Amino acid sequence: MIITDLLGARVYGPDFLGFVSDVRFRFDTESIGQPARLHGIIVSPHARSSSLGFERSGVRSPWPIAALVRWRHRGSFLATWPDIERIDVRQIQLRAGFERGSPELS
Amino acid sequence: MTDDDNQGQRWLDAQLHLLDRQVLDVHGVPIAVVDDLQLSEVPMGVEIPQDTPPPVITALLSGPALARRIFGGRPPESRMIHTPWVAVRDVGVVIKLSVGRDTRDLSWTERWVRDHVIGHIPGGRHTPKGENNEPAQSNERGGS
Repeated sequence: MIITDLLGARVYGPDFLGFVSDVRFRFDTESIGQPARLHGIIVSPHARSSSLGFERSGVRSPWPIAALVRWRHRGSFLATWPDIERIDVRQIQLRAGFERGSPELS
Repeated sequence: MTDDDNQGQRWLDAQLHLLDRQVLDVHGVPIAVVDDLQLSEVPMGVEIPQDTPPPVITALLSGPALARRIFGGRPPESRMIHTPWVAVRDVGVVIKLSVGRDTRDLSWTERWVRDHVIGHIPGGRHTPKGENNEPAQSNERGGS
């Protein structure tokens, strides 16, 4: 599988939830020389495009662009790997009772 | 903007931190751009058991991305050039590898043209006089 199979895919729970706007990977330590494990997908209800980091890292400037991007990606959430039930071509199904995590990078 | 976390872990977002980043070899020479990422095997079209371990990045993919972005679709995976993830040394503004460019398939066309075309042009095998500002490792014309 390649990552562009996931980016932009439609995400469903009980109903349509949005699109995959990014895919997050986790390292168990600060070192890059580790396997990069898929942590989860960031689901954006209104946009397929990336939020360019504005929403996720608390960046607020330049404010017109930040405001526009944050508005485009309002309601975004992180769905972690254990909550992914099924991956099809351009479509992902989440498990019943999935949790909406914060998409922000702290 | 590349990282961080609170419990000694590190996070990377594919679009934000990896895709379209320039890749430098161990000497700092740009050799490619990340067009895609290859993941380990994921069950497709079937229910994923809850305890399935998450997939990992196995390789950075580079290749003919321009046509795909204009016309859609994607090239066959055989057309993409794989850089194994284990060769990645650092991810920042650029992605640094721990291997040299000549050990990668990424630059074979450039090396072929250098050796078989540029090298046969008179003066094509040395640095022109007066150009002292080139990096030390690219002292052959057509080699950078």
